[in-house]
Amino acid sequence: MRGRLAKATTRYALLATLALSYLFLYLPILHIGLAAFSKNANFPYPPRWTLDTFGRLFGNSLYQGAFLNSLVLGIGAGALSTLLAAAATLGLMRHAGRRTGLFLTLFVAPLFVAEVLVGIASLIFNGLFLELQGNLVSAILANAVHCFSYALLIMATQLYRYDWRLDDAAMVFGASPLRTFFEVTLPLIWPGLLGAFIVTFIMAFNNLEISFYLLGATPTLPSVAWGALRYGVKPELYALATAVNLVVVLGLGIMFVLMLTGKAAFGHRPERERAV
Amino acid sequence: MYITLDGVSRQYGSVWAIDRVTMGIARNEFVSLLGPSGSGKTTLLRIIAGLERPSQGRVLIDGVDVTELPPHKRGVAMVFQEFLLFPHRTVWENLAFPLRMLKLPAAEIEERVRWVVGILSLGGLEKRYPNQLSGGQQQRVALGRGLVGRPKALLLDEPLANLDRELRQEMEVEIRRHQTALGIPFIYVTHNQEEALSMSDRIAVVRRGRIEDFAARTEIYDRPKTAFIAQFVGRSNRFEGTADAGGNRLATRCGARLALPAPGLTPGSPALAFIKNEKLRLDAAGTGAASGPNRIACTVKDVILRGAYADYILAFGERELNASRPRSERSFLAGEPVLASFAPGDIDVFDEKGEQAA
Repeated sequence: MRGRLAKATTRYALLATLALSYLFLYLPILHIGLAAFSKNANFPYPPRWTLDTFGRLFGNSLYQGAFLNSLVLGIGAGALSTLLAAAATLGLMRHAGRRTGLFLTLFVAPLFVAEVLVGIASLIFNGLFLELQGNLVSAILANAVHCFSYALLIMATQLYRYDWRLDDAAMVFGASPLRTFFEVTLPLIWPGLLGAFIVTFIMAFNNLEISFYLLGATPTLPSVAWGALRYGVKPELYALATAVNLVVVLGLGIMFVLMLTGKAAFGHRPERERAV
Repeated sequence: MYITLDGVSRQYGSVWAIDRVTMGIARNEFVSLLGPSGSGKTTLLRIIAGLERPSQGRVLIDGVDVTELPPHKRGVAMVFQEFLLFPHRTVWENLAFPLRMLKLPAAEIEERVRWVVGILSLGGLEKRYPNQLSGGQQQRVALGRGLVGRPKALLLDEPLANLDRELRQEMEVEIRRHQTALGIPFIYVTHNQEEALSMSDRIAVVRRGRIEDFAARTEIYDRPKTAFIAQFVGRSNRFEGTADAGGNRLATRCGARLALPAPGLTPGSPALAFIKNEKLRLDAAGTGAASGPNRIACTVKDVILRGAYADYILAFGERELNASRPRSERSFLAGEPVLASFAPGDIDVFDEKGEQAA
């Protein structure tokens, strides 16, 4: 009997720890979400439901412009870093050699540079050498630095399982190297590319530290939110935070649905590409 | 010759994986590249396919120098050990792939895929994906993908290594039948001597990047040119010994005496001799002289029944001998004393460098 009691106690203690951990992770976000939909935004317990704040948010042309700019920044930096990282990953895998470790380290090293530093350094470099003023293009280039390293890591975990001899087979059967890429390689590795794009898109979309220095007068959602703080935390900010989160959740949701329907694995299931 | 390798070498760092290989393969010919793993046989095949570039030498297919041509312009096809079917394509699409690359009209693609589905009995599997097929079915699709484009040559890289024994023997017959029917050269890489012997017209024995011998399969089996081939092809009893003063007898280390058909050894020099298991005759002990040359008195240690024949493991002093006899002959039981004998002509003898001696 005592053994059973001890077991039950352990079980509930573990469950409680798990619940506390999740609360720690998600309670602040849930609070903001709740506040965004309540009239009593400062202390929404119990909430009095309303969509007014969202109405005001979407009616505000500053936020509309900022949202579009963030979208351009996310798509631009995501696409650029995904393309570059795809080329880098394919090169590393296809031509693996003694120096692969060195190349990989140099590709991933930007992750360990502080974002603020990337921002300031890019501001100076882009201005001095590329003659870029503070604008979206400059911000896209700077964001692509960190995003590139992330994209590389995401794709590398996907592509290490790719059997390059499939390319040999395609070429022996008459496909040129370009044809081989589009007929065989790309159809088998696109989940890795899409996964890398979604993650880097979200990173750039949400980024403040790097973009802050490079955007000049161009507003994005994080920079507008940062600016709005000067006038106190208003309900629109709650709605804004919630809306941004919804965009992020939407991206992750796409990945999840693709995984669920078996369209793509994103490295989730160690499923063999072929049965022997 | 339809396919010619002219002084082909391939260097990796300081290692010569392929060392000055020259050979010619005729149209209609089934040639096996037989050798242990790491001997360079697959590299040789990949050089013919264009997947590797030779460091030196030339490759000619149908009179055209293809040394500088990339694989997709050579018009050869390949069957891989791991099959390497395209996992995102159905059986039908896999089979149509080489034809699409040839830019054939849709009607002809349809007709030729149908033809290959027919000859390889793949009917009903067209819409399946490779991971929904058994190993044997994947093998058939891989073979079909190799044949469907009517290539100038089909290169096969250990295609049966991943199949079980029964299926392998079935496929051996089938592969040979398709080769005969299509009349194109098949170049078949294997480390399995049985596969090489059962299908080939000629066998090239590859060792350390070189061709040890390239000859008709019967020649390779019956008259091995080097000690390596004698050891590698067929199953044999190996004897080490010293030649006598006349150069035509061998006193082996284990105590047997071998009389050779002709003197050819340097008197007093060390030599190697091989006698194939099936060339060892067995008689009941006491018939004839027990201790002449080419006669070894021993005891049956174990009998392994193989169906049509039986393998005998014989104890001769410290060592074991192997004999393989048809079941139609008199059989012996474990523990029985027997007299093993062989004809002088059945001894393959080599000098210490492994070169043919007599």
